[in-house]
Amino acid sequence: MAALLRPARWLLRAGAAPHLPLSLRLLAGGPRRPHAAFCPHAARAGRVAGALLSQARLYAIAAEKKNYLQEEATSSHRRNTSQFDWALMRLDNSVRRTGRIPKTLLQKVFDNTCHSGSRGGNQALLLLRSCGSLLPELKLSERTEFAHRIWDKLQKLGTVYDVSHYNALLKVYLQNEYKFSPTDFLEKMEKANIQPNRVTYQRLIAAYCNMGDIEGASKILGFMKTKDLPVTEAVFSALVTGHARAGDMENAENILTVMKEAGIEPGPDTYLALLNAYAEKGDIDHVKQTLEKVEKSDLYLMDRDILQIIFSFSKAGYPQYVSEILEKITYERRYIPDTMNLILLLVTEKLEDTALQILLACPISREDSLSDFGSFFLRHCVTMNTPAEKLKDYCKKLKEAQMHTSPFQFTLHCALLAKKMDLAKALMKALKEEGFPIRTHYFWPLLVGHQKEKNVQGIVEVLKEMHEIGVTPDQETYINYVFPCFDSVKSVRAILQENGCLHEDSIFSQAELRIEAVNGNLDYILSFLESNTLPLSFASLRGSLILGFRRSMNINLWSKITKLLYKDGRYCQEPPGPTEAVGYFLYNLIDSMSDSEVQAKEEHLRQYFHQLMEMNVKIPENIYRGIRNLLDSYHVPELIKDVNMLVEREKTDSRKTTQPTSSDLESKLEKLKAENQPIGDVLKQLILMLCSEENMHKALELKAKYESDMVIGGYASLINLCCRHDNAEEALNLKREFDRLDSSAVLDTSKYVRLVKVLGKHGKLQDAINILKEMKEKDVLIKDATVLSFFHILNGAALRGETETVKQLHEAIVTLGLAKPSTTLSSPLVTLYLEKDDLPTALEVTIDCYKKYKILPRIHDVLCKLIEKGETDLIQKAMDFVSQEQGEMTMLYDLFFAFLQTGNYKEAKKIIETPGIRARPTRLQWFCDRCIASNQVETLEKLVELTQKLFECDRDQLYYSLLKLYKVNGDWQRADAVWNKMQEENIIPRGRTLRLLAEILRNSNQEVPFDVPELWYEDEKHSLTSSPSPVEVSLQKELLNACHRKKDKDAFNIFLKAKKQNVVFNSETYASLINLLLMKDNPTQAVQVKDFAETHIKGFTLNDAANSRLIITQVRRDYLKDALTTLKTALDLEQIPSRIAVTRLIQACALKGDTESIQDIQKLVNGLEDSIGLSRMVFINNIALAQIKNSNIDGAIENIENMLTSGNQTMELQYFGLAYLFRKVIEERLEPALEKISIMAERLANQFAIYKPVTDLFLQLVDAGKVDDARALLQAPTVKSLLELIPELTEKEEAYTSIMKSYVLDSDVASAKALYENLTAKDVKLNDLFLKRYAVLLKNAGESVPFTEPPESFEFYAKQLKESKENPL
Amino acid sequence: MAASAARRAVALRTNIRRPVAFVRKIPWTAASSELREHFSQFGHVRKCTVPFDKETGFHRGMGWIQFSSEEELHNALQQENHVIDGVKLHVQAQKPKALQGDQTSDEERDF
Repeated sequence: MAALLRPARWLLRAGAAPHLPLSLRLLAGGPRRPHAAFCPHAARAGRVAGALLSQARLYAIAAEKKNYLQEEATSSHRRNTSQFDWALMRLDNSVRRTGRIPKTLLQKVFDNTCHSGSRGGNQALLLLRSCGSLLPELKLSERTEFAHRIWDKLQKLGTVYDVSHYNALLKVYLQNEYKFSPTDFLEKMEKANIQPNRVTYQRLIAAYCNMGDIEGASKILGFMKTKDLPVTEAVFSALVTGHARAGDMENAENILTVMKEAGIEPGPDTYLALLNAYAEKGDIDHVKQTLEKVEKSDLYLMDRDILQIIFSFSKAGYPQYVSEILEKITYERRYIPDTMNLILLLVTEKLEDTALQILLACPISREDSLSDFGSFFLRHCVTMNTPAEKLKDYCKKLKEAQMHTSPFQFTLHCALLAKKMDLAKALMKALKEEGFPIRTHYFWPLLVGHQKEKNVQGIVEVLKEMHEIGVTPDQETYINYVFPCFDSVKSVRAILQENGCLHEDSIFSQAELRIEAVNGNLDYILSFLESNTLPLSFASLRGSLILGFRRSMNINLWSKITKLLYKDGRYCQEPPGPTEAVGYFLYNLIDSMSDSEVQAKEEHLRQYFHQLMEMNVKIPENIYRGIRNLLDSYHVPELIKDVNMLVEREKTDSRKTTQPTSSDLESKLEKLKAENQPIGDVLKQLILMLCSEENMHKALELKAKYESDMVIGGYASLINLCCRHDNAEEALNLKREFDRLDSSAVLDTSKYVRLVKVLGKHGKLQDAINILKEMKEKDVLIKDATVLSFFHILNGAALRGETETVKQLHEAIVTLGLAKPSTTLSSPLVTLYLEKDDLPTALEVTIDCYKKYKILPRIHDVLCKLIEKGETDLIQKAMDFVSQEQGEMTMLYDLFFAFLQTGNYKEAKKIIETPGIRARPTRLQWFCDRCIASNQVETLEKLVELTQKLFECDRDQLYYSLLKLYKVNGDWQRADAVWNKMQEENIIPRGRTLRLLAEILRNSNQEVPFDVPELWYEDEKHSLTSSPSPVEVSLQKELLNACHRKKDKDAFNIFLKAKKQNVVFNSETYASLINLLLMKDNPTQAVQVKDFAETHIKGFTLNDAANSRLIITQVRRDYLKDALTTLKTALDLEQIPSRIAVTRLIQACALKGDTESIQDIQKLVNGLEDSIGLSRMVFINNIALAQIKNSNIDGAIENIENMLTSGNQTMELQYFGLAYLFRKVIEERLEPALEKISIMAERLANQFAIYKPVTDLFLQLVDAGKVDDARALLQAPTVKSLLELIPELTEKEEAYTSIMKSYVLDSDVASAKALYENLTAKDVKLNDLFLKRYAVLLKNAGESVPFTEPPESFEFYAKQLKESKENPL
Repeated sequence: MAASAARRAVALRTNIRRPVAFVRKIPWTAASSELREHFSQFGHVRKCTVPFDKETGFHRGMGWIQFSSEEELHNALQQENHVIDGVKLHVQAQKPKALQGDQTSDEERDF
């Protein structure tokens, strides 16, 4: 501002000093001269500006203090102050750097001032002062118009003008040679009740003099004298001009004498007035004489003065003298801006030739060929519509003079910017003639112009022009600049053909294809690719295809297109071939997505990969590794195994022989082992490779085989692999082995975290905590991402309702100091109870967290729920606590947000209108972000609405947030309404707010009704992240809620609703629902959900437990084939199904007589028997049963006998239990089989001394109540011998009870007595049934009973015994 | 709450370091093909982007060149002057957005 304001101020004070020292004269430069086209004091402006700036700041502070109590004024005032500073700085900078102000800048500052709340006098002054010679690029009349516009507008807006403003206006008039009536001007001042001062009179005199009106000037002069105002040099200089313009050069010359007589020595200003006067007359001789005179005196004319003489000559029509005067110029560096301004002024005055002459005379250093001079001239010529021919000539001359390296290109640039089509055309032709290439993108700015107006004819013209000049539009041209002009892509082709400007059909077709891809129109892509006959490179299509894929989530189309590109001979058959091309495409596809996008679309991607696998699409190993790294960095390692399936394995890449395959390594390993050489390195390499191939089974096998040669690295990788495969047991084992190998070895942080996650998930809490402890002990690097992972572990457990896991892990993490107990980290503690709808506990936990850690996790959610449920007492409790601990204001905000969130706007309004409440920007922002994240438009709108009168509320910030949300929803109407509301509220939008608003409008093809603040370094990235829609989110949440509340019917209905709306949830949601349905024994629906999930999320898998449950249910429903498939699926996923699930399936198969299936299962679970807990007997029993069911009794018996009698027994005899088989045979009343089995059992006992089968059979017969058969099988002597042979048998409860029963039936008191004594001697605990029987036997035999006879009936004890067997304690 | 935490995690995502040159002061006459042509003298240009402002039809004078290897990038950076259409470009290595943490993986260690 200094540069602008100072002269006026100084003049106000300078009246008393008739003669000015040089330095001050420089400072006061402007006002002295009628034609002053240059701004002076470039060198000083900075310092003075600084001083003034700080003054402004002081003013601001004082004002702030004063306004402190005027609530509303404060914040807006502060902003105005800073805006004024900003405007000042920009204008001042401009003046300092270039000596001028670009019109656009002034306009911007003006608009800003108009929009701002207060328009102070200073600002008005600043603006008015800028409308004179500081605008050399504007015609004189335009400048004055501008000044008037500012004057009127600001006056209307309430700015109060003082004399300084009038004087500034006068100054502008003088500089712009504006013809006006000084008397009218005085009248105007009088009306406004403003007293003219000396400066006013001085300038009025100058105004008269400029018109050559000496009489008028004299009148004012007389007036000054009566007022006793001093007559200064400026007045005399004006009089020189006045006389000269009146045609009286003699008197003009005489003024100098008059001055001297009046005691004022003529200074440079006076001489300059004289020189200009002569120049206007074209009197070169007098000019030269006067110049000599000045040189002889001790006076000194500066370059700027000389330049003015040149201007006078050329403007008066004497360009021939310019060169002579130019010689006088010393070309001081600091006058370069003045020279430039003169050149601009000359161009404005249509004196371009003179301008060029001066330009070419500039002594610009030409050493550095890269720096160009003269651009400003060319640009201004373009603006001023200098004819093309002239411009071409100028360009040539500048180039010849080596002043500018690329004047043609630069001028073309200007012409394009100004959208001057004809000039651009001419220049392009000239460029071509000069041998420069004409590039396609040169035409884009022209197309943009037409595109904005949807001017189809204009577009067609440009395209014709391109053709004429020999440039073929490329795909970008069509896509970015041609298509947007049309309503539909389809109409473009017709119109262009009609107009004969479709010359390269293939390029156009490809552009068409790409735009459809970008729009997500995959159907079109597919049909195009299918019918296309043109050569088309996949690479050119890749980018658009990726966008298209991300736009359309139709996985089937994804796969079909990929397959087509992969397989079809038209597309990527040339080297490097389809494998590489498709692999690279997949890599790029994933790379183009953000982590959150990949996470959100995990299931879609999985489905895609699976479909590709089924289509036999392969990708190279090295690209797979790239994808793997990407997925790892996106935190979705679960997808790695799905991509891994696509790796091309059979073909070893001949180019990369350095990369051996796993089988190479394996044979190498064996060879080394055989040669007894160290194998550590190769082993590790192989393990790492297997891990990267996701081959857990093989890797573990290898580890087991070469355990002693394992190194730390191999273990680390294996642990990670097992974690990835959710195998907690094995991971833990490996970790132990890892520790045994080197207890000081440290894993990567991420591996520790994964271990904790897997262990926690599988309920191995203590082990998980131990891992955490180890992390602490070994000082593992904890990154922010680690803390976040902790949160996810806890949150996952909380959502699963695993209270202990959450509590213990959280406790461990916090007490170990691995992470600070932040609000986020501790929120799962509360989530646990919120999910269960246990509000009192949730609140308690939150409060407890505050007591422990000074944080209040999820207080907002707790409050919302409390409000929803109307828990007045708990709300009161929460509020009392918050209020007491964190202050009333925090409490009010908490309550305000909770009411807003729950839609209780009336209550919210009451809260926010509490007297004394003021804005808390961070809290408001928090809520805004929350609303944006969850797309709560209404809530956010209400927030903005309700905070309108909130003290110190940053309205712009809130509206900015609102706009952000509208942008997400593409809601330009509401955004537009915001624009109006902001004006209504008198808010000055910040630049970014305007830019955002403009972006929203533009995105919806709306006109932007304001000047968008420029941004220099704009981020080009347009992210297209498509997060799940709000509908999806809310439905999913509803569904999960229903699942947690175990409301299977509700949950299933939500599922059906979503299905109808084509909403697909994530797999976890489906898994929860399926679990619930299975638990509620609703298999039909469960299968329905599973089928849906499977068809919509291809890689959808149930976890072990769910699959087991499903198998059980399917068995129950007799869907044995399906159950078998489920089992296969589970095993393929390396899950461990539960024992009961497998057993049930086997048994069901047996009862169906389906031997084959049982044998299949046996093969399937081969090797896993121990993990499942499956006895081999299950197979033996059931296969036999199945055979019996198939009437192959002999075969069954033969098998069993063979197993028991052949030499190589796989089972120890005592475990060879056939009880199940026997029971089933009895239950199923398979009499012939029972008979043959009895024979077999006796034979085994008699001939082979194998007693187990016979014992089992006997017990089963007894159990089944077939006492006679039992007795037949076991005659007492046999029993005795049996007891002798296998004494431990008697100690079995079933056995002794049965034996006693048989003695009782035989009334064999002696044997019974012996048995009793034998048992009591061995301290065997006897059951009541046994005792009852024995007692009755003794009583019947008339003997005494040596113990208290159990009082109840046989039936009672039999029942009791049976129950106790069924429910073992 | 979980969502916002997840977003923060996104911000934390460490940039995989790629051999990318950031080029400024590209003359308006040059577009990506000219840049690609110029920089291919230093190695294989995998990707070359000069984003255009669709509002004006001009680019903003900035672009990115991705090379196949660090070495090629180094070659390009070694060259003092890069001139296209008579205009000197400013070429520098693209700074990675976030520092990567622990660089050595436990899998690399054998003890």
